Amino acid sequence: MNSFIQLENFSKLTPYTSLFLQGVVVTVMLSICTVAIGFILALILSAMRMSRVYPFAFLGLDAEGHQREKGLGVTIGKFNPLAFLATAYVEILRSTPVIVQVAVIYYGVFGALIDLPSFTFFGFIKFERFFPGVVALGMNSGAYLCEIMRSGIQSIDGGQTEAARSLGMSQYQNMRYIILPQAIKNILPAIANEFVVIIKESAITYTIGVQDIMSAVNAVRGATFIIIEPLLVATAIYFCLCFPTSKLIAYFERRMSRGDRR
Amino acid sequence: MGTGDKLIEITDLEKHYNFGAIKALDGVTVEVNRGDVIVVIGPSGSGKSTFLRSLNLLEEPTGGAIIFDGVDITRKKYKDADGKWVKVNMDLHRQKMGMVFQHFNLFPHMTIMDNMILAPVKVKNVPEEEARKKALELLDRVGLRDRADAYPIQLSGGQKQRIAIVRALMMEPEVMLFDEPTSALDPEMVGEVLDVMKQLAKEGMTMVVVTHEMGFAREVGNRVLFMAEGKLLEQGTPSDIFENPQHPRLREFLSKVL
Repeated sequence: MNSFIQLENFSKLTPYTSLFLQGVVVTVMLSICTVAIGFILALILSAMRMSRVYPFAFLGLDAEGHQREKGLGVTIGKFNPLAFLATAYVEILRSTPVIVQVAVIYYGVFGALIDLPSFTFFGFIKFERFFPGVVALGMNSGAYLCEIMRSGIQSIDGGQTEAARSLGMSQYQNMRYIILPQAIKNILPAIANEFVVIIKESAITYTIGVQDIMSAVNAVRGATFIIIEPLLVATAIYFCLCFPTSKLIAYFERRMSRGDRR
Repeated sequence: MGTGDKLIEITDLEKHYNFGAIKALDGVTVEVNRGDVIVVIGPSGSGKSTFLRSLNLLEEPTGGAIIFDGVDITRKKYKDADGKWVKVNMDLHRQKMGMVFQHFNLFPHMTIMDNMILAPVKVKNVPEEEARKKALELLDRVGLRDRADAYPIQLSGGQKQRIAIVRALMMEPEVMLFDEPTSALDPEMVGEVLDVMKQLAKEGMTMVVVTHEMGFAREVGNRVLFMAEGKLLEQGTPSDIFENPQHPRLREFLSKVL
């Protein structure tokens, strides 16, 4: 009788060890690059969402320069194009599946619009597949990180801003010296957690031929027709990457919050 | 105490929500003279905090005028003598108005010293050495010199509020606004904060104080405002207000709190 897992199948995997090792390198590289892109994108997006750019504010003022209370002019005056764009981006990226986004970026943007040079680096990473994967995942995590940053900043007690502003500090100085130093401490663990999420989510890039851990599984399946055992190996690898990372984050989170029990 | 020299002129101040359905402030007219100690009393929800916070635009009034330093700060911009539009720089006006909050609002990630010197150094470009010296003097005055390197979390409520007061004083404001400065304190700590405020008043600082401390109002205030439902119902000297109240709403209020 065939059992679910056949131990001798694992020994058949040994010739493919290097494939899995390369997959690990690709997955880790992919995650690091993605978080880097996502982080920078999120900085820009959250700055846009919280900006106070009101190009039509004058429509909401009366002849003496007072803010009017109601009317079409007031509504248009409160329109912030930067915040609108950033919000639209975040909502679209958060409301569509990653696998669709990856496909659109790979086949759409880099397939039809932009030609990527085709070369390999590190000896086995194909740039023309790796790069679109990073861009797509980075764009996606940028949207999520933006929300993390925004909520982290907005979680700081409003009294802090009031105190800073009442001392004559500008909105920028308030952000720079009062809000961000406190917010970053709240946000860092969430950003680190996003890294763990990306390690797992990056598996989706095998659909566009990025040779990560998941694609190693498929390669082995194609060559040997064994499925369960390589999948178990992949499961173990992903677990070994993610579990220690999240434990490490939890450890630092506890250490950081030690100082400020209120 | 009051010198008759006008510092802030508040005319017909309004704060409406939902297009006038809720009137947090409903036509308040008050003059603040240099050296005045004005105490605002009234039941909760009467608009007295809104009134105080409007003075430095932490709340934006929806009508009326606040003339401070000759500028109507409720406007976003105004026409100067040459007929040019000038933007009102609220940060500049706020530097001249110190504010003390009910919940202290010290910056928890900074030492007491850094809390105090941040605004003078970054906003007014005071040299750091000078600011430190001044901070130590002020800390001396409130008896907290030895806590300069502590973090806010290590202080008691009364200590935090005393720090908040001297932090505002670091900017050398022309007027100090107090928003229920003792309401969040343990009863035994109220005294130490009121003492600092009394000292300030004695030195001639212009103050607008929202408080429930009737003793303070009677002893230190030179004018008492009674507000209810967003309106300024009665104002006068402490003896007018407490010994000879006119408005029935004020009589009712005093009968409950005294």
